[in-house]
Amino acid sequence: MASIIDIKEECALHVRDFEFTYKGAESPSLKKITMPIAKHSITALIGPSGCGKTTLLRSFNRMHDLYPGNSYAGEIEFEGRNILGPKEDLIHLRTKIGMIFQKPTAFPMSIFDNVAYGLRLQGIKNKTELKDRVEKALQDAAIWKEVGDRLKNDANGLSGGQQQRLCIARAIAVEPEVLLFDEPTSALDPISTQGIERLVIELKERVSIIIVTHNMQQAARVSDYTGFMYLGELIELGETEKLFVTPKEKLTQEYITGKFG
Amino acid sequence: MTAVQKRVVINKIALALSTISALIALGFLFWILGVLVMKGVSALNWNIFIFEGAPPGYDESGLKHALVGQAILIGMATAIGVPVGILAGTYLSEYGKNSKLAHTIRDISDIMMSAPSIVIGAFVYAVVVMPMGHFSAWAGAIALGIIMIPIILRTTDDMLQLVPGELREAAFALGAPKYKVILSVVYRGAKAGILTGVLLGIARVGGETAPLLFTSFNDNFFTTNLNEAMPSLTVTMFNYATSPYEDWQQLGWAAAFILSMFILGLNILGRVILFAGKKRK
Amino acid sequence: MIDKIFFNFTRFSALLILIIVAWIFTVLFNHSLEAMNTFGLDFITKDEWAPNLDKFGTQAAILGSIISTFLAMLLAVPVAIGVAIFLSEIAHPKIKGLFGVSVELLAAIPSVIYGMWGLFFFVPIIRDIFGGLGIGLLAAGIILAIMILPFMAAVTRDAMNTTPDILKESAYALGGTQWDVIKDIIIPYAKAGIIGSLILALGRAIGETMAVTFVMGNVHHVPKSILDPTTSIPVTLANEFTEADSSLYFSSLFGLALTLLIMSFVVIAIAKFYFLRKARRA
Repeated sequence: MASIIDIKEECALHVRDFEFTYKGAESPSLKKITMPIAKHSITALIGPSGCGKTTLLRSFNRMHDLYPGNSYAGEIEFEGRNILGPKEDLIHLRTKIGMIFQKPTAFPMSIFDNVAYGLRLQGIKNKTELKDRVEKALQDAAIWKEVGDRLKNDANGLSGGQQQRLCIARAIAVEPEVLLFDEPTSALDPISTQGIERLVIELKERVSIIIVTHNMQQAARVSDYTGFMYLGELIELGETEKLFVTPKEKLTQEYITGKFG
Repeated sequence: MTAVQKRVVINKIALALSTISALIALGFLFWILGVLVMKGVSALNWNIFIFEGAPPGYDESGLKHALVGQAILIGMATAIGVPVGILAGTYLSEYGKNSKLAHTIRDISDIMMSAPSIVIGAFVYAVVVMPMGHFSAWAGAIALGIIMIPIILRTTDDMLQLVPGELREAAFALGAPKYKVILSVVYRGAKAGILTGVLLGIARVGGETAPLLFTSFNDNFFTTNLNEAMPSLTVTMFNYATSPYEDWQQLGWAAAFILSMFILGLNILGRVILFAGKKRK
Repeated sequence: MIDKIFFNFTRFSALLILIIVAWIFTVLFNHSLEAMNTFGLDFITKDEWAPNLDKFGTQAAILGSIISTFLAMLLAVPVAIGVAIFLSEIAHPKIKGLFGVSVELLAAIPSVIYGMWGLFFFVPIIRDIFGGLGIGLLAAGIILAIMILPFMAAVTRDAMNTTPDILKESAYALGGTQWDVIKDIIIPYAKAGIIGSLILALGRAIGETMAVTFVMGNVHHVPKSILDPTTSIPVTLANEFTEADSSLYFSSLFGLALTLLIMSFVVIAIAKFYFLRKARRA
């Protein structure tokens, strides 16, 4: 019944018959989801609260493993393997698939140390290399101009929008293949939101992006593909322009026209 | 070894160390609990509840005097500490709120909560025992009562603040005067929490020995005279345990066991009440 | 009318706290004046404590309090932090709950019982290992450490638990291990709260009487080693208050009580008003 298009591009990730069950729940929260995620493009996930879009997003870097008792079924293919396998190296996986959260999550350390954190975890100790890569990440995240002269300052002194761009810099510094955005602008003002959206679009040159948003306009503005989810199922996946104009499913139609939400 | 592998190994070591420290802590605590239960249970018998203290070597010796004395002391301390604590907590939550005075009182009371209880004993010695000229149940109860006030004050303040403002406004809208709103609406809303606070407060002072050493002192015989020295489980335990007589030491362990069960019981009951209260909402 | 009376009742009760605290300080101060006037600084710098000669120097007691508390902290802090990490980050949720509650219940066990256990079961072990009497600073420090451990672990865990999940997840999302997240995120984030909790436990340890009274020895000499019997402020008070027979003796004991109160007041105030308040603001 779901309407899933075939994408033209190569896949960054491929989800097949994926199911996810929270600890102690009787039925899965995500049911039989199959979807391709295109490389070097932006895929948005929309749907009403509780539809499972964030749950799906957090499956891509196996964030659910932090809390015991949750279970996966089916397959998520990444770099030619199923990342749901028991032998998957989560530390490695998470450096390949980065994540940005609903709220800015500046660590309690300096701006420089925040961005260098992931690099240091990978064992990079060389000072010049660290400095170069931190600077590049901050430039790529369009925040270098604002913080370049005060890298030693506490990151928590930055504004919300700046902190969120700092988090993006921190995530891209380790050069991931995929970036997951979980409602990255929900805690930000409209101007900061605009800045983040512009940045997300620029970033797709280098990474594949999946963005969860509760804001349909945002999905329409930034994404190439949009998936609409409802009650744990992927109802429709299509090119963003087409999905918002001529949805194939009645439920999608009703949601984007505001009949429920 | 790559940097990442090294981190994984360090992680395992650190987590193992932390688990080991938890096991060490648990080991010691189970050791103490085990000793308490073994020694305590083996020393328990009906004589403990029937007879009062006796010189070492007597079969017919028990803890009746200390059990009753303990109950009297805690009862009196509760009668002093609970009303003052609840009223003071009421002032902070309902009248003082965020005023400077209210904050000062909260701060001082918080410090008092962790202040050395033996110092309270010294204070009560100076203001009650010295003028009276002798030890008394009154002095012991006052010392325990003073220790209790900050505990009750704190929970009352916290629990009353949890009562939603709309509830108060609804009662005011019906034309009720403030004291009535507090007595009939706010107190009712915070009932479970305050009761838990009272139980925990009793549990806390029930285990106190130091402030009783030179206020209610001790007595090896049954008494209900509040103007005289009054035996308590804790001081009896201290005296018996430090005595060289085996049978007194036995009684000391029995007292320790009974007291611990009482205090653990109160703690558990307090939690159950709080939990049940939360669930209902 | 009734409203006014009720209000005054509650306000008086609240003010009573301030009155009692002020009264405690005044009473202890007044009663210790005689000792302070008689001995001056010798009161705290000499360790000669000879009631029959009316000589009272409290150095041994003050040092005993400080050293036993320091020893207890030295032993308890690493273990308490380990337990707190275990409880907040490692243990399975079910164990977390069960272990957490039992730690809190253990914190409620009367300290006199820790003292009894120490005297009958732990002192003999120290005697066997190190020789000597077994009683002294080492025994007191260890028993004090065991006694404050549950409280310390519980409050440290609470401080660690204030770290937002999303912050921890962000570090995991960069490929951090549990230990990376603990040392780089949780401990820096909760630093003020953790230090505050540890100092608060210290404040309690200083004033703890019953756990150490059994095992300290009550000997007024600055000990040569931590294995020698000595005394501390609460131990002196507990043992000698009912024996004092001269007004100078009493006054000296009140002076000790005042010293103890000031020490713990300062420590607790630093914990609560500097560290824990800072932690709450963050």
